[in-house]
Amino acid sequence: MTAVRFVGGRIVGALVVLLIVSVGTYAVFYLLPADPAQLSCGKPCTPQRLADARAFMGVDVPWWQQYLDFLGGLFAGRTFGSGPAAVHCGAPCFGYSFRLDAPVSTLIADRFAVTFSLATGAAVLWLLLGVGAGVLSAVRRGSAWDRGAMTFAVAGVSAPSYLVGLLGILLFGFTLDMVPVGGYTPFVDSPLDWLWHLVLPWCVLAFLFAAVYARLTRGQMLEVLGEDYIRTARAKGLRERRVVGRHGLRNVLIPVVTVFGLDLGQLLGGAVITERVFSLPGLGSLLLEAVGNVDLPVIVGVTLFSAVLIILANLAVDLLYGVIDPRVTH
Amino acid sequence: MRRRLAVIAVAALSLSACNANSSDGKEDKGGTEKGGTLSILTSASSVTLDPAKSQNLAITTLGLLVRRLTTWDIQPGKTAKVVPDLATDTGTPSDGGRTWTYRLKDNLKFSDGTAITSADIKYGVERSFAPELSGGLSYHKNLLVGNDGYKGPYGGQGLSGIETPDEKTVVFKLKVPYGDWPWLVSMPAFAPVPKAGDAGPQKYGQNPISSGPYQVESYQQGNSLKLKRNPNWDQAGDPVRTAGPDQIVFQLGQDSAVVAQRLIADSGEDRNAFGASFVPPAQLAQIQQNAGAKQRLVTSEPGALAYLALNVTRPGLQDLKVRQAIQYAVDKKAFQVASGGTVGGDIATTLITQGIAGRQQFDLYPADPSGDVAKAKQLIAETGRPAPTLTLLVENGATDVSQAQAIQQGLVRAGFTVNIKTADEEAVTAETTGANADYDLTLASWQPDFPSANGNIQPLFESTEVGNGGYNKSRYVNGEVDALIKQATGETDPARAQGLWAQADKRILQDAPVVPLIYTKNSFLHGSNVQNFFVAGFPAYPNYLKVSLKR
Repeated sequence: MTAVRFVGGRIVGALVVLLIVSVGTYAVFYLLPADPAQLSCGKPCTPQRLADARAFMGVDVPWWQQYLDFLGGLFAGRTFGSGPAAVHCGAPCFGYSFRLDAPVSTLIADRFAVTFSLATGAAVLWLLLGVGAGVLSAVRRGSAWDRGAMTFAVAGVSAPSYLVGLLGILLFGFTLDMVPVGGYTPFVDSPLDWLWHLVLPWCVLAFLFAAVYARLTRGQMLEVLGEDYIRTARAKGLRERRVVGRHGLRNVLIPVVTVFGLDLGQLLGGAVITERVFSLPGLGSLLLEAVGNVDLPVIVGVTLFSAVLIILANLAVDLLYGVIDPRVTH
Repeated sequence: MRRRLAVIAVAALSLSACNANSSDGKEDKGGTEKGGTLSILTSASSVTLDPAKSQNLAITTLGLLVRRLTTWDIQPGKTAKVVPDLATDTGTPSDGGRTWTYRLKDNLKFSDGTAITSADIKYGVERSFAPELSGGLSYHKNLLVGNDGYKGPYGGQGLSGIETPDEKTVVFKLKVPYGDWPWLVSMPAFAPVPKAGDAGPQKYGQNPISSGPYQVESYQQGNSLKLKRNPNWDQAGDPVRTAGPDQIVFQLGQDSAVVAQRLIADSGEDRNAFGASFVPPAQLAQIQQNAGAKQRLVTSEPGALAYLALNVTRPGLQDLKVRQAIQYAVDKKAFQVASGGTVGGDIATTLITQGIAGRQQFDLYPADPSGDVAKAKQLIAETGRPAPTLTLLVENGATDVSQAQAIQQGLVRAGFTVNIKTADEEAVTAETTGANADYDLTLASWQPDFPSANGNIQPLFESTEVGNGGYNKSRYVNGEVDALIKQATGETDPARAQGLWAQADKRILQDAPVVPLIYTKNSFLHGSNVQNFFVAGFPAYPNYLKVSLKR
């Protein structure tokens, strides 16, 4: 009952957050002087054609009314224009991109596979590398390994992703000719090509993210290793590997999982720069193009989708706390 | 789009002051060999394949897929020419230029094997009026009879201004005489669209029925567009397209810096590729140190006009003498340096750009490229008032700001105070082409949509182009100039029309609503297997229709 109430409360909270995010996105983009209808009016544009374009796109009414239309579309779908050429966007309609001639939900579905492949592969790598390096550094505190790993971590935290991506491409793509320098092949077309095209982006993202996890894990582990129960475990004669792995790491994982949930949720919403550098047609690229072309329905759709992912990731993290540390459920 | 690309071009050329013009816009005059897969690497993530929505130049992407009534013959070092494409000639005018008649060539077929008829041309043009298909080049929409309130063919209505007396003849009825109509019918909207093959405005653009040498094999928005040969295209009836490669692959959404690195490395399949985006500044400098890559860098002849627009409606700029003073005070040399030096462009003095037929070279405000400050001060003194304080609105890119500072420093020498106001590209476009013009000066760049002096002058200076998305950023309204534009537009004799446009060029500059700054140049890089790759003055983009691969 407690768990049901907890999940129910979180879902209501999530809906409120999504509502706020969608209002904010609409308001921000309509406060800008850019006019989506003017940008798609054609050249040269006339007042009549501009009015026609605005009416067809549904942007000839105040922004709040457009927002209400958007909300209505989520439940009842929307129709743009009239007659045989009218465009219908079925419920739940997250908007329609007139630039790309497709419902926003279709565009997101098409691109999500790329971002999902990128984010999950990189996440596995950075979690293994970051947590592994952090634990080792803590256990061998002050050693050459510790200093080396932490120097590497500082570099990873400080380096801009665009620069790391380009350097990775220059070194592994052009100089060593080990991996492709960009592009994407769907897993279903060729699993090997899929893997081959994603290895470098995974490594770049893992380098950037693992650094945070290594530093976080090291700090937490050092603190935990000084706790009384660890001393007790050692005094009982448990092997060091078991002390660190079973008793130490389990307690370290709570903050790590918190950060991981946020990072993964955020990345699933689109790794804008990494996708651009490696020419990956994911959600980040879609959002970047949409911003450049004032494609508001896509901007709102991707922003909301990203918000949903972050909320879901947070929910998953909250539920995981109970698994990692049973005390949390009480 | 032209404007945006031209601005990017200036940005892309901003670093190197040394000579990148390795090929002077000309490259490889070898014959056209057939076969191979050509890759075109572009930062664009989507391609508008529906002719009604397209703003493509006649010689780029859509020109590979669809033919129009006329097209462009673009050769390096030569003035752009309009030539027949699907039609047998560039059009026969009658009724003083209000009626234009075209006859289609024999044996024209769509990619599905059906015959191309005049009804398909009419239907293609009618579609461009549908609000669902807005966004394309629309010059014809203002001119055709019956355009008032016409909303396309999807409701069952036809456009009365287009007649098809038989399967091969199409007649356009215009509201006013229009001498450049042969150029307008080279635009994408004049590509044939079979009514039976139009599944609707949202679907046709996914895979348009081809009339050119290629057809769509697959299109994945954000990833790639693959073209394969159209078996029903006949080389004999198409003297403009050489159709060398067997397959053309557009790699979409590419980072410009990575593209340049790939082409500098010139390995594997990238030998068969060229970049459709301008070479970024860092790579442009790198190429200068790499003899192999330098040979494959192609810089256009001077093309688009970069200019300073003076908002003549503002209190500080209503006095002609003040505007003339700005003509002398501006340091064009400093602007050129901020734009990348001589590789960024040549100093400009006219509105009609190089490579456009009928252009006359003149300079109404002769001065050293760095300006004539004494003359500017004298003109300000003659006004009896101090030089005004001006707001210069520019985009917030690094190069744009550098260029704005070059303008600012030039004007300050003559006593002007210039405040630079930066904004996002879309915001600048909205303000300069919209109703609320809160600026005195703005930097802009313009390449005409079709290679006629009309394209240089009318969109920027006719009074109808103020606000509502029009590009008359100076807000310049002069009845005499409007009349001259109307007269030149209606003139069907090219020589007389060119004379009138040159006259308009001088007349406008007498009022000094803009300061011509430079004729910009664009640089592109290609792989070592690519041949027949060149960039002319107009348009300053590669001619996709001629590119082939060494076999």
